[in-house]
Amino acid sequence: MSSLATRTEVVMPQMGVSVSEGTIASWLVSVGDRVDADEAICEVTTDKIDVEIPCPGAGVLEEIVVEEGETVEVGTVIAIVGGGAAPDAERATEADPPGETGPRETPEAGEIDRSAYHSPVVRRIADEHGIELGEVEGRGVGGRIRKADLLAHIDADQPRGNGHARTLHSESPYRPEPEPGSSPATAEPAGSPDELIGATRREPMAPMRKAIAEHMVASRRTAAHCTTVVEADFGAVARARAGRKEALARRGVPLTYLAYVARAAIEGLERHPILNASIDGNEIVHHEDVNLGIAVALDRGLVVPVIRRAQRLSVEGLAAEIAELAARARGGELTPDDVAGGTFTITNPGQFGAVIATPIINQPQVGILDLEAIVRRPVVVADQRGEESIAVRPMSYLCMSWDHRALDGAEAARFLGFVRARIEAGVEAEVER
Amino acid sequence: MSATDVRMRGDARGSATAGSRPERANALTDQDRLALLRYMLMMRLSEERTLKLYKQGKIPGSFYDGCGQEAIGVGAAFALAPEDRLCILHRDLGAHFVRGLTPDRYMANYMGRSGGVTGGKDGNMHFGERELGCVGMVSMLPDMALVASGLALAFKMRGERRVAMTFFGEGSTANGQWHEAMNMAGVQRLPVVFMLENNQFAYSTPNELEFAVDPIERARTYGFEGITVDGNDVEAVFGAAARAADRARDGGGPTLIECRTMRMHGHGAHDDMSYVPEEMLAEWRDRDPIELHAERLAAEGFDQDEIERLRAAVSELVESCAERAVASPMPDPETAEHGVFADRWEPLGDGQAPWSRWDDRDPGHGPHADGGAGSSNGHGDLGIAA
Amino acid sequence: MSGGTITRLEPSTPRGGGESAAASELTYLEAISDALRTEMRRDETVFCLGEDIGAFGGAFKVTDGFIEEFGEARVLDTPLAENAIIGTAVGAAIEGMRPVCEMQFADFISCGFDQLVNVAGKMHYRQGLAVPIVVRLPSGGGFSGGPFHSQNPEAWFMQAPGLKVVAPATAADAKGLLVSAIRDPNPVCFLEHKGLYRSVKGEVPAGEHTVPIGAARRVREGEEMTVIAYGSAVLLAEQAAEELGGSIEVLDLRTLVPLDRDAVLAAARKTGKVLIAHEATASAGVGAEVAALISERAFEDLDAPVRRLCAADVPIPFSPPLEQRVLPQLDDMKEALDELARY
Repeated sequence: MSSLATRTEVVMPQMGVSVSEGTIASWLVSVGDRVDADEAICEVTTDKIDVEIPCPGAGVLEEIVVEEGETVEVGTVIAIVGGGAAPDAERATEADPPGETGPRETPEAGEIDRSAYHSPVVRRIADEHGIELGEVEGRGVGGRIRKADLLAHIDADQPRGNGHARTLHSESPYRPEPEPGSSPATAEPAGSPDELIGATRREPMAPMRKAIAEHMVASRRTAAHCTTVVEADFGAVARARAGRKEALARRGVPLTYLAYVARAAIEGLERHPILNASIDGNEIVHHEDVNLGIAVALDRGLVVPVIRRAQRLSVEGLAAEIAELAARARGGELTPDDVAGGTFTITNPGQFGAVIATPIINQPQVGILDLEAIVRRPVVVADQRGEESIAVRPMSYLCMSWDHRALDGAEAARFLGFVRARIEAGVEAEVER
Repeated sequence: MSATDVRMRGDARGSATAGSRPERANALTDQDRLALLRYMLMMRLSEERTLKLYKQGKIPGSFYDGCGQEAIGVGAAFALAPEDRLCILHRDLGAHFVRGLTPDRYMANYMGRSGGVTGGKDGNMHFGERELGCVGMVSMLPDMALVASGLALAFKMRGERRVAMTFFGEGSTANGQWHEAMNMAGVQRLPVVFMLENNQFAYSTPNELEFAVDPIERARTYGFEGITVDGNDVEAVFGAAARAADRARDGGGPTLIECRTMRMHGHGAHDDMSYVPEEMLAEWRDRDPIELHAERLAAEGFDQDEIERLRAAVSELVESCAERAVASPMPDPETAEHGVFADRWEPLGDGQAPWSRWDDRDPGHGPHADGGAGSSNGHGDLGIAA
Repeated sequence: MSGGTITRLEPSTPRGGGESAAASELTYLEAISDALRTEMRRDETVFCLGEDIGAFGGAFKVTDGFIEEFGEARVLDTPLAENAIIGTAVGAAIEGMRPVCEMQFADFISCGFDQLVNVAGKMHYRQGLAVPIVVRLPSGGGFSGGPFHSQNPEAWFMQAPGLKVVAPATAADAKGLLVSAIRDPNPVCFLEHKGLYRSVKGEVPAGEHTVPIGAARRVREGEEMTVIAYGSAVLLAEQAAEELGGSIEVLDLRTLVPLDRDAVLAAARKTGKVLIAHEATASAGVGAEVAALISERAFEDLDAPVRRLCAADVPIPFSPPLEQRVLPQLDDMKEALDELARY
């Protein structure tokens, strides 16, 4: 140690790991007194303990810095001892440790160019505002475009929306959001088409197509799909319809076969409520009302507007509702509420001549009924005495896909059997309504 | 019915053990003595029935029983009052039955059914019926010795004349927590009864590799009494437990009771016990606790037909409980994430206390200042006419 | 509850926490004492147990004077046996008492881990029995406590379902969270940083004062970046933010289990730049959990990689220059924030 070390500072010691300050209770020596190393020179009190302080070095007490009764922080010099031996080795801990000192820095030189790297939030905001990021000046490290830079750029052009508050799916970051937004078309991929296919044209899926695709795949993945088919004779319905078609047409209501099937299905759902239900996790949710979804084919894709509380409607009422919803669907006038909250769905591709199909369930419902084309077919019929003969009848297949998680085949068959019976009876009961 | 004094017997090796007559009115009526037989039979037959379920693939995991040790759980628990509390070990199913558990809940628990005591959250013997004043064990042994001491600490702090009882094997005495529990109970003179079941093996490790000094000798060094009884003599176990419980209630602190016995089955159903000499098993087989007690009752003039009717009734009960347990549905997977945290604290309920000593107690003047000692007589609780 | 026969001693002159005023300036340590005293006066089932807490008043004097006021039964000096402290507390809690265990140092919880993790933590899930115990854990380093008196073991408890974990940073929160912990029906690990005991002072409401478990606290508002911290790192963050002068948001988690996820996500989304700071070691710690949460749920709001400022993954060394190197310092915090700002 240096020969200059002739002054020794006496500091407030730390008497315990949590102690941050101490109070001088009394000085045991006076200024000018000769003190030996380790001789008790004062009493210090803390809130944990009272202790005598041994002098860190021999010499003469030159100065008392902290008087009796004063409280100072740990490490404060309380007295100075001079003219003696070197301070003890303990003081050496205040010296810099060997090796590096100061903050650990990374060199600034050769900064990487980050102007083409975009953080997730920058990419998202640029997407939402349709901004070409090449036009934005980055002020971050390496020329990176920071969120703040992008927002400043947007603010300069247009008032900023609340777009960046969008949240991800509440359970998993990987699942799509409940309402697929109007995300812009993805760029055309650069890959070359298989030459054997010949010329191709690629176009991004329209948002609606994409939404349908996601919905259908999700349904297939979710539900245990089964399809049950019955064949129904539409003769009675045809007769009933013929009697009232004209009158209704005058009021602007096209009386379709679909309305009869809808009415029969509603009555069936009231008797087989397991099909007027939805699945939520491990629970089956039974619905009081029949909110009947009617699939409407548009050029852009399929939409399913919903007739709310359909059980209150007669065949004629259903016909009117179906006509109105279809018109609004084709006119693009449906609101989100119009397509939400269905409890069972009917689809009618038969209008285009199809005779059999296996529809995909509209989640989270458990059943979808498919009305196929009504075609005249030779069938075996029996008269009242049981005599059988072959007759030509307007026949159609009723195909229903149902979720085996919620019900079994027997229940599905019973439901369809009931619907068929109502159709073959011409759905007369509704007359009473 | 005339009262019959408790008799002490020598242990299986024939050495003399604590055999002084009870100082108090720790007497058993004829009904009590039949009840002891009934609870031991309930344990034996329930475990045999459950072993069958295990072999039929109805039980996930493994199966553990207390065959040969029936006298310990039954005899010890029989000494307790309704407001006393228990932490029961996996060899002491009988203690659960004494406190009022029905075999179907035990079997359903083994099968992981929703009707089990833990609703499928925990398996095998890791359960305690809250309503019956029991705290379920954990696999780390003897952790419950400390929990029981804590129950006893609460009694002591509130000045209640109540007892906590817990069970552990001799293997546990090698663990540090055993020392922590004995020391804590000794220092605080806690009203706790420690039932040490020396069944000769800790899994496959014999006594001589478990300790250099017999654990019962250590009791004195913790500042309380340790006694050894024949663990296959249900009345001897009962007598020792009843005196220890009274001492605890009187502020006399803990007692360590070593019950010498033999684990007649493997550690679990997966253990063939190849490490146990056949002669050793044969010797203990002759001292089966249930047969010993039945023979004693017969020798003392109990009606043999009555004993046979008891066996039949228990057998019938166990069979109907097995049916109920098998019919219990599996738990809803949703419940797997329920109940990690409590919304509120709720008290333990009082257990059944079939010993006739508690029959006449005025519910309003029991050790429970709140009159928690309600119906205490458990005779005929399962519809078995003894 | 049984009508017990606990005789309540007449309170002696209150020490430390003057209760005459509606609020008074208390140290973090005094606030903890005040919480305990308030709850022990309010509820006779509340009692303390631990090593040297009675006549000696505890290694850090938290229970100084308690034995005179509450008697030795409720200020229970135990043998040197951490499993015994926690295990008996579990039993007493099941029987209706509200024990508050003191670990002399948080480090010693390793000796009581079995009772805490296997018995207390799993009891309600397995058996439906609530275990209302509090385990007080004087934690943290910076004082040459060395490898066995300086640890921040909170992540251990986060890995053990059934335990709540709180870690206050201010005097008022220390009192409010301890009162809430005592009243909670679950086992609560209460991490009290030794470095804050006497260095942190603040206004603490007298008498009834609770802070809900599970709610973070916004310490400081800012737009540029967010520091998410708890315990001693909150002070570091506040100080760094003051000195740097930027628009820096500081969120004090206060509770680690259950984590205030909404507050974390809101704070992360707000600025898109997040620094998570704590004194505990980095790997698989609170910071890792918070960073994972942010990347899963706020990915599209991030403008910079989430950054952590934690202790190095080493035992806490004894010698001051070594310890300072391992534990996060103010300069480290400022440097990290500066880098994040420039990114």
